[in-house]
Amino acid sequence: MVVEFNRYSCFRSLLVATMIFGASLSLVSPSFAQSVGLPAPRLLTTIPMGAKVGSQVEVTISGEHIEDADELTFSDRRITAARKLNAAGQPEPNGKYVVTIAADCPVGIHEARVMTRLGISSSRAFSVGTLDEAVQTKANTTLATAMELKVNSICNATMTQRAVDHYVFEATKGQRIIVDCATRGIDSKLAAVVIIADAAGRDLLVERRGGALDFTVPADGKYVIKVHELTFKGGQAYYYRLAVSEVPVGAPIVRLPSTKPVNSFSWPPQGLKEQAELAESEPNNDRTKAQKISLPCDIAGSFFPAADVDVFEFEAKKGDVWWVEVASERFGLPTDPSILVQHVARTGDTEKATDVAEFSDIPSPVRVSSNGYAYDGPPYNAGSADILGKLEIKEDGLHRLQITDLFGGTRNDPKNIYRLVIRKAAPDFAVVAWALHMELRNGDRNAVSKPLALRGGATMALEVVAIRRDGFDGDIDLAMEGLPEGVTASGLKIPAGQSRGLMLVTAHQNAPRAVGSATFFGRATIDGAAVTRPCRLASFAWPITDSWGEIPSPRLMADVPVSVSGLEFAPLTLSPPKEVQTVIAGEKLTIPLVHTRRSEFSGATLQLRTMGASFDRAPQFDVSLTADGSHAVLDTAALKTAPGDYLIAFYGGAVAKYRHQPEAVAAAEVAHKNAMQELMAIEAEVKKLTEAAKAATTETKPEADKAVEAVTVKQKAATAAVAAAAEKIKQATAAAQPRDIVDIVVSEPIKIRVSPAAAK
Amino acid sequence: MPYSDHVSRRRFVLRGWLVSLGGFFFLAVMPQPVDAAEPPVSFVNDVMPVFTKAGCNVGVCHAKAGGGQKGFQLSLLGFEPLEDFDHLVTESRSRRLFFGAPDQSLLLLKASGQIPHGGGVRLAASSEGYALLREWIRQGATFDSQTAPKLLSFEVQPTRGSINRGGEQQLKAIAKYSDGSIRDVTSMALYESNDKAMADVSERGLVKISDIVGNVAVMVRYQAKVSVYSASVPLGAPVENLPSSKNFVDEHVFANLKALGIPPSVLCDDATFLRRVTLDIGGRLPTEEESAAFLASKDEGKRDKVIDELLRSPDYADFFANKWTALLKNRRDDESDTVSNFAFHAWVRDSFLANKPYDQFVRELLAATGTVIGNPPVAWYKRVKEPKQQIEDVAQLFLGVRMQCAQCHHHPFERWSQDDYYSLAAFFSQVGRKPSGTRGEDLIFHKRGIAVAANMKTGVPLKPGALGDAIPEIAADEDPRLKLADWMGSKNNPFFAKSLVNRYWKHFFVRGLIEPEDDIRDTNPPTNPALLEALEKHFVASGFDLKELVRVITQSRAYQLSEVPNAHNVVDRQNYSRYYPRRLQAEVLLDAIDRLAGTQTDFANLPPGTRAVALPDNSYNRSSQFLRVFGRPEAESVCECERVQSSSLAQSLHLLNAPEMKTKLAAATGRAERLAKEDKPAEAKVRELYLAAFSREPRPQELKTAIDYLNEPGSAANANYQDLIWALINTKEFLFNH
Repeated sequence: MVVEFNRYSCFRSLLVATMIFGASLSLVSPSFAQSVGLPAPRLLTTIPMGAKVGSQVEVTISGEHIEDADELTFSDRRITAARKLNAAGQPEPNGKYVVTIAADCPVGIHEARVMTRLGISSSRAFSVGTLDEAVQTKANTTLATAMELKVNSICNATMTQRAVDHYVFEATKGQRIIVDCATRGIDSKLAAVVIIADAAGRDLLVERRGGALDFTVPADGKYVIKVHELTFKGGQAYYYRLAVSEVPVGAPIVRLPSTKPVNSFSWPPQGLKEQAELAESEPNNDRTKAQKISLPCDIAGSFFPAADVDVFEFEAKKGDVWWVEVASERFGLPTDPSILVQHVARTGDTEKATDVAEFSDIPSPVRVSSNGYAYDGPPYNAGSADILGKLEIKEDGLHRLQITDLFGGTRNDPKNIYRLVIRKAAPDFAVVAWALHMELRNGDRNAVSKPLALRGGATMALEVVAIRRDGFDGDIDLAMEGLPEGVTASGLKIPAGQSRGLMLVTAHQNAPRAVGSATFFGRATIDGAAVTRPCRLASFAWPITDSWGEIPSPRLMADVPVSVSGLEFAPLTLSPPKEVQTVIAGEKLTIPLVHTRRSEFSGATLQLRTMGASFDRAPQFDVSLTADGSHAVLDTAALKTAPGDYLIAFYGGAVAKYRHQPEAVAAAEVAHKNAMQELMAIEAEVKKLTEAAKAATTETKPEADKAVEAVTVKQKAATAAVAAAAEKIKQATAAAQPRDIVDIVVSEPIKIRVSPAAAK
Repeated sequence: MPYSDHVSRRRFVLRGWLVSLGGFFFLAVMPQPVDAAEPPVSFVNDVMPVFTKAGCNVGVCHAKAGGGQKGFQLSLLGFEPLEDFDHLVTESRSRRLFFGAPDQSLLLLKASGQIPHGGGVRLAASSEGYALLREWIRQGATFDSQTAPKLLSFEVQPTRGSINRGGEQQLKAIAKYSDGSIRDVTSMALYESNDKAMADVSERGLVKISDIVGNVAVMVRYQAKVSVYSASVPLGAPVENLPSSKNFVDEHVFANLKALGIPPSVLCDDATFLRRVTLDIGGRLPTEEESAAFLASKDEGKRDKVIDELLRSPDYADFFANKWTALLKNRRDDESDTVSNFAFHAWVRDSFLANKPYDQFVRELLAATGTVIGNPPVAWYKRVKEPKQQIEDVAQLFLGVRMQCAQCHHHPFERWSQDDYYSLAAFFSQVGRKPSGTRGEDLIFHKRGIAVAANMKTGVPLKPGALGDAIPEIAADEDPRLKLADWMGSKNNPFFAKSLVNRYWKHFFVRGLIEPEDDIRDTNPPTNPALLEALEKHFVASGFDLKELVRVITQSRAYQLSEVPNAHNVVDRQNYSRYYPRRLQAEVLLDAIDRLAGTQTDFANLPPGTRAVALPDNSYNRSSQFLRVFGRPEAESVCECERVQSSSLAQSLHLLNAPEMKTKLAAATGRAERLAKEDKPAEAKVRELYLAAFSREPRPQELKTAIDYLNEPGSAANANYQDLIWALINTKEFLFNH
C-alpha cells in the first residue's frame, strides 16, 4: 500500500533510491500500510440500537477513539442521556448510559454521538419506535436456544459469525404477522436473511432482499424466526432490530424507519405538495388506453405489475418548454425509471409517433468513485437513477409520455412507486456535502467520512455538490452558521454553471473545547430573489480502510454538529495573511504562508494544490515541511483570471509522525509513581505489622494476625495497581510512538481581489 | 461468385499453366473429351456425398476451422459446395486434380493412401466413391450447382419396425430430386444409432440388434437431409400381474412394457421406497425416527403422504437448488463473487421452497434487471456475458436444444440454420449494462432499441425469432427477453415443458426418455413418446408446477418398482420395468456418511452443520477431496454430464481408507463413540445403525454377524462400532439409491 502524493516525484525518488541503495532497498522500503486521516472519534454501536418512545433504557456504546467519551447526545433534544452510575455514585466504566426518550419524541431515526477528547464522534442511527423492546442477552443460535419474542415487540441483537439466530413466537390461526428486520437502514453491515419456519425449524417463508415478511398464520402454535447474514458474516458491526407485529388483514405494512440515501437530498422540489394531485389509473399500459392528462401535472404511480408501462397523453404547443422530474429511486427503492415522450400524428386509423425526448438517469454532477484501490472520486453519488430533464415541444399536438421501470421487467411489487412531476421551469437547486478526500493511491477511505471534529489550528474541507433544477445556472454561495467559538466557515462558492464547491471549516489554534449544532446552507439569487436551501451532510455508516474489499454504505445525516477538541492540535497549520490579497489581472500574486508545525513529518516537502474557483487549475507547488514559512505564487495571466473577488485555499497530503495522546504517558507515569508510593507505604505497614505480630502476646496475637492479613490484602491490591499502572504506561507509550499517518492539510482560506488591468 | 466466373477463373488458371509448361504438358492436363452419351458425374449430387461418406469434411479433418488440414479445406459436411469446388479445382494452382491422368490426381492419390495421407485411406482405389471421383475428374471436373437437380427429400425405408433381439434390418436410403428422379443412396448415406449398445449399424445401413430390449433409433443423413428409423425390440415375455396404475405415468410405462413383452419387477418394500424417495426429493437419508415411524405405519396412503411431506420440506428446495445452481453456472472464480453467488443460490432455493411456477422462474432469470442484491437472477448475466453464450445456454438448458453448431454453419443433425441461431441471439441484443457500486458487477436493464443480431456469415441483421416460430414485432421499448419468456411459457411451445419433464424424469429414473436429456431433436426420438407427451401436457396444465410434477412421478407405481430384476427384465435398460440403482451424488453421499457417523463436515465460513447439498457454489470443492473424488461439478457448463456419476478406484480407496473417513468414524462426538458408551443392548444399537444406514431393520443373519463382531474379545467397543459403521458405509446398499 503506497500513498501517492505526487506519483511522479515519488516514483522518481524510488528510482533514485533503487540506484543508490541497490539491494538494500527492501530495508528502506517506502512507508507501506499508512492510514489516511488522523484518528477521529467514531461511535460504532449502541446496544440496544433503539428504544420505545416515552421510556428509559440502558445503552452500552462502543467505537473507535471514544474511550474517554463523556456526553452522549442525540440529534433530537427530546432524547437525553446520562452516564450510568454505580452504587457509589461513580460513572460505570465500559460506556454505559441511561437514555431517556421523552413521550413527545418523534418516532423514527435519530443520530447518536458522543463527545470525546478529540471532539464529537461520528453518528450512529438510534431508532425510536412504539413497540416494546427486548435485547438479545445470550446466544440463540440453535432451535433449542431460540429466544422467546412476543408479538408486537422488537428485539435488538447482534449476529454471530457463521450462525443463525433463532426466535420463537406464538400465534393463532388467521393472524397476519409482519416480521421486519432493520439493518442497513440503521447503519448495520448485516445483509439480513429472515426466515419464518414451523416449530420444528422447517422453513416456510424467506426474505433476503430487505423486505418484510407477510405471514398468515396457518394454525395455532409456535413459529420460529431465523435470522442470518447472507454470507454468514457476523460480529459487532452486524446488528439488527427484529420486529414482530400483528397487522390487520388488508392494512398497509409500515416498515421500520430507515436512514435516507445520499441522493434523496435533491427531493422533493421546493413547495411540492405532500400528496400528488393525480394518481395513475390502470389500465394505461398501451397507447389505446393512455391516461389523458394536461400539463402541468403531478402524478403518483406505481411500477406494478411486472413490466408495467404507464402511458399518458397530453396536448402541447410548439415552443413550450416543460421540466420533467421523477422520484422513485430517491425514495430508497430499487428502481430505474425511464421516460419516452413522443409526438403523435393521427391520420384516420393510422398514427405516426415521433420521438421527442427520452429521459433516464440524473447524472452525478461529479465523477463518482469506481471503488477501486486508488481514489478517483468521491464514493457518494449525488446523481440518481431518477429523472430530471427538459422537455422542449417541437410540434403542436398530441404527445404521449410513457414511463417504465428499467429494473421492473419481472418484478411484481406494488411498493415500487414513483412520483411524476411535469412543470414549467421553477429554477432551483439542492446541495449536499461530505468530507473532502484527495487523489491518493491508497485504499483507506476513512478521511471521506470523518466527523467535523476539529483539532485546534485545523481546517477541514467539505466537498459540496449541487443538483441544479430547471435551468438554474447561477452562482451558489455556501455558508455555515451556529459554529462553536473560535470556529469559522468559508464557503468556496459553486460557480455559475458548475456543480462543485467547497466549504472550509477552520478552528483557531486557541479555540476552546466545544460542540455546536451548525446550520449549513447554499444561497443564490434566482429570478432576482434570494433563495436559501439547506445543505445536507453525507457520511459512510462505517469507516472503510480497504475500499477494494468493502463497498461503502453512505447516507444522509440529520444534522451538522461541529466540535473543537481543545486538547489536540493540527500537525501543521498553513496561515496566509488575513487581509485580502490583491493583484492586477495578468500579473503574478505572491502569497506568504506561515507554517505552524506541531509534529514531525516524513519527507521534506509538501506538495500543494489550489482549490477555489478560477484558481483550481494552478500548477502544484512544493513547500518545505521544515521551514517556518513559504510563498505561493499564482499567475493570473496563465490562469486567465478575470477581475473579481475570490476565495481560495491550498491543500495537500503530508505524512505526519502522529503521536496519539502523548500527554497520557506523563499522566500514566505519575499514576504509576503514585501507585508505587502507595505500595511502598503499604509494604512498610506490612513489615511493621508482621513484626508486631511476631512480638505479640497470646492475647494480642489473633488481632495482630488479623491486621497483618488485612494489610496483606491491601498489599496485593496495591501490587496489582502498580502492575496495571505499568501496563498503562506501556500502552500509552506505544500509542504515543510516532506513527506515519497521511493528513490532508488544508490552508486557512485566502481572500483574493483581482483588479482589472489598466487600459493600455 | 457466380458459377460462370468460377469456370472462367479455372480456364484462366489452366491457360496460365499451358503457356508456362508447353505443349506436352498441354496434352497431359487437357480434360479428355466427354462422350455426349455417357452420363455426367454431378459435383453436388455425386461428388459431395462421397466426401461426406468418407468423412473428409468433418470438423476434425478438412472441415476443421481455420484452414482445414494441410492447407486443404472443405466446408463442414459439404454445406458450401461452391467453396468446396473452388478449393478442389482452382486453389493451389489447381494442383489437386490432374485431368490428363485422373488417377494421378493428388486428391485421389491421398484419399486412396497411395501417397502418405494424415487421414489414412479414406477411399480405396477399388471403391465406388473412388471411381466416381475419378470419373468426375476425367469428365473435366465441372461445377453444376445451377443445373444439377435439387435434392428435395430424403427418407429411410422402413421408418419403423419391430426386430427381435439378435435380429437384423437392412435400411434403404432414398433420395428424391427436383427432376423427378429417385435414387437409392444407401451406400452414400451416413448412419448413426442413438444407442450403440442396443443397435449397431454398418456403413451400408445394416442394423444389427443386440440382446437389449426396448426402442432404438437410427439417424440416417444424406447431404443436408435427415431421416430416422425407429425400431422396437421386444422381449416377448408374458406380461401379467401388472401393478394397478396409480396415474397416467403407469398407464404409459406399463403399456410400453406390454408392447415390448417386458414384465416389470414387483413394487419395492416400504423401507426401500422411503429411502429412495427421501434421497430423490430431499437429497438426504431418512432419519431413524422417520424410518421407524414409516415402517410401523399401517396407513395405506403413507407413501403419498411422505412425498407431500418431503415436497413441503426445505430439503427439497436445498437439493434441487443444488442441482440447478450448478447448471446455471453459479461459479466462484474470485472472492468478490461470494455475495452474488450466495444471493443467486438463495434465489433459486427460495424459488423452489415457494414452488414458484417453472415458467416464472425462467422468466425471472432470462429477463432479469437491476442489481444482484436487489434481484439475484441478475447474477446469471455476470457469469454468462455474451449473447451467443446466453442463447446457447438458454437453448440447451431450458429447451433441450443444442444450438452451438448453428453459430457457424447449418446444424448437421437438425433443422437449425445460422439464421435460427442469430434470430435467437437477437432476443439478448438489447441487454444494457451500467457499472454498479460493486466491482465486477453490472446493473442490467433493457436498452431501448429494435432488437437485431447479424448473421455472422451473411451479415444480414435478423429480428428475434424463436426456433422457427414467428414472434410478433417487438417495439423498441419492449424487452425482447420478456417476449422470449412469453414464447417459452406458451402452452404450445414444443420444447420448454418437454425439456423440463424429460430432465426431471431422468432425475428420478436415472435415464431420460430422451438421452442425453438436453439433446431433443427429431432425430433423437424418445423411448416412450406417449409418456413424454402426457408428462408435458400434465406439466403445462398444472401451471408449470414443479412439485406437482415430482408428485406425479414419485407417486407412480413405475417409480416404486423394485430394483431387483425378475426372470426377464434384467436386459431392460430403458423401459423402466425396474428401478435402476444409482450411486449417491457426491454431496448426498457426504451428508449420508456424516449422518451415519454422527459427524459434520466443516465448510469454510458456513455455520457448523451446513449440509453439502446446501452449499451455495463450487468453491467448497477445493477444500473437500471427497466432493472432488465423487464428481461434484464445478458449474462450468449447463450440461448435467459435468457431474461425474461413474465409479472410480479413487472413490473406493477414499471410502476404504481416507483419513477423512477415519476421522469421521473416530470422532469424539460421533455415533460410534456414543454407541460404545451408551447403556442399551447391542441389538438395539445394531438396529439403530441399520435404520440409519438403510432405513430398515437388520435381517437375523446381519444382526447375528454384527453382534458377534461387537462381542469379539480383545478390541475396544468404540473401535468395534467404528468398524461396523465403516463396513455399512462400504456396502452397495448404502452407496446406492436403489
